[in-house]
Amino acid sequence: MDAPRPYNLVAELTYRCPLQCVYCSNPVGWRDVPDALGADLWTQAFHEAAALGVVHVGLTGGEPTLHPQLGEIVAGAAAAGLYVHLVTAGTTLARGGLAALRARGLRSVQVSIQDAQPEASDRIAGARCFDKKLAFAEAVRAEGLPLTLNVVLHRHNLGRVGEIVALARRLGALRLELANAQYDGWAFLNRAALLPTREQIDAAAEVVARAREEAREPEILWVLPDYHRDRPKPCMGGWARRTLVLAPDGRALPCQAAGELPGLEFWRFPEHSLAACWRDAPGMNAFRGEGWMREPCRSCPERARDFGGCRCQAHRLTGDAGATDPACALAPQHGVVLAARAEAERAAPDFVYRGSPRPR
Amino acid sequence: MSAGPAVADAPLPPGEFEARLRRIGDERYHHRHPFNLRMHEGALTREEIRTWVANRYYYQTRIPRKDSLILAKAQDPEFRRAWISRIHDHDGRQPGEGGLELWLALADAVGLDRARVESLADVLPGVRRACDAYVELVSQSDLLTAVASSLTELFAGDIMAVRIAAFEKHYPWVRTEGLRYFRTRTVQAPADAAFGLAFVVSEARTRADQQRCEAALVRKCEILWSLLDAVEAAGVSPRLSPHAQPRLGDADPMVVLPERAVKLTGSAAEILSLCDGVRSALEIAGILRERHPGAPGAWDDAHDFLAAMRRQGVLLPPA
Repeated sequence: MDAPRPYNLVAELTYRCPLQCVYCSNPVGWRDVPDALGADLWTQAFHEAAALGVVHVGLTGGEPTLHPQLGEIVAGAAAAGLYVHLVTAGTTLARGGLAALRARGLRSVQVSIQDAQPEASDRIAGARCFDKKLAFAEAVRAEGLPLTLNVVLHRHNLGRVGEIVALARRLGALRLELANAQYDGWAFLNRAALLPTREQIDAAAEVVARAREEAREPEILWVLPDYHRDRPKPCMGGWARRTLVLAPDGRALPCQAAGELPGLEFWRFPEHSLAACWRDAPGMNAFRGEGWMREPCRSCPERARDFGGCRCQAHRLTGDAGATDPACALAPQHGVVLAARAEAERAAPDFVYRGSPRPR
Repeated sequence: MSAGPAVADAPLPPGEFEARLRRIGDERYHHRHPFNLRMHEGALTREEIRTWVANRYYYQTRIPRKDSLILAKAQDPEFRRAWISRIHDHDGRQPGEGGLELWLALADAVGLDRARVESLADVLPGVRRACDAYVELVSQSDLLTAVASSLTELFAGDIMAVRIAAFEKHYPWVRTEGLRYFRTRTVQAPADAAFGLAFVVSEARTRADQQRCEAALVRKCEILWSLLDAVEAAGVSPRLSPHAQPRLGDADPMVVLPERAVKLTGSAAEILSLCDGVRSALEIAGILRERHPGAPGAWDDAHDFLAAMRRQGVLLPPA
């Protein structure tokens, strides 16, 4: 199969992280994944990615600043001509460290907070960190770097979207990513504790619409809550279509979670060239394009817009990664999403934190 | 408003309705637009004055057509007899007379080539859209709301007086005979507005009618505002955002930004390469038009592309 051109590389430098967010997108088995790539190999990967057409790299994790060679990695990405973007929790780096990264070619920073209120934010992160994060966000602006503020939304913070927008404005964020939680990995373990009600989402969407009218900045991205939308999300803009994920152990993946899908063979860099990992690994081609689709996707006019939704979610909810994403009201197994929605109307149980002993 | 539905549906008393219309003007008429404020402070360059004169001419050419549409909607001969004077005012009774001619005299006075102005070749796409939107608004409206949309004339008399004083004080290089259009309008606009206002106040019989009139006036103010937005943008010298990484030489050129990329198709990369913070949008679009004589849309496309890139944060005004 002809592979499309990837534009974006998600470089997961390490899965280690001081936070324990209850919706972390890292594999539930993250402790077993070694940090296999040093700065030299990352730099080689960046050059190979650039040759494939990649123009932008997001250095992420885990907490990417815990990689001992982050400075060299930033320099390597810049030398490969990539736009170097850092995705961080903002608790590990001081302004001096940030300035050094900027001098080596860092161009923009995304900082995550968990809420607009310190206690609520710390409760989701499983660590006291809110004030540090805000100080770091201010350092990003002070360094003249464009700031994206990222907040994952769920039933405990959707009511404070207005405060979150105000905070983003106060911090001078260029973009605000309001990402309704995607219920895979840790977020799936905590789904009953996180999934909001329809009313919460509608109210927050209204706040977002008003905020967009008030001012052009920050640009607000509202990542759709697929459990409540009757249509699947266009996950990753299509499987292995625009974005290449390189995990800490060198595995090349189509998304942050796909490595946990059973029966799919992905290849490891540098055992294989990055081009081979992208073009030829059987796992990459398993759901590329539309050939894998079944009905109702196969003949659906919306398939070019949502790419059949999320394979990880299909597997999570039906046991079959090739099934129609149950978030879609047209999916035969949409009932499981309806049941989860009904569950959201009831009281929520406690969280399972990502640092906790391996969940059952 | 806390009034119950029966009261809310009743029309406002004429005085209160008129006050509402006037408040719309206070808040939204283009006398508050930054470009007009700068004009009246004496802060515009000759180039900016010329751009405004050449572009506003397009608006002038739409006015008699707009008034003809209103005439065609009127049943009452008395209304038509009154309204047709606007067309006479604008077009004159014979060649060499009227408001359009006076505007061309202004074009002469600011040093523009009259034939070039009449050709409309330098009209900005945003100005064209704004003026066409006005004609379209009137075309789609009933007589009452069409007349209501003309009520920006209520506020025109004052702005003309300010403008004459500003030109005499700040722009002495504009020959004084060029200001006759403004002087004429200080008399015509209030008389026209008085007629239009009386008509709207008496013919808007329900609150719903009044609300449609208010909405039409708001829309008209927005149209005038966007006309000046376009004129203003043409004078700005765009530069690339420091956050943008241009890849203009790539086989598929693009600009990379935090967490996104903008693909550059057609002459987009060529246009961006001209954005040095010194050349104005006007100059850049002029260069594109010269370089691509076979592409009739080059001028419009360049302006629209620059505006789109400014909205997306790829381009910034000069530091």
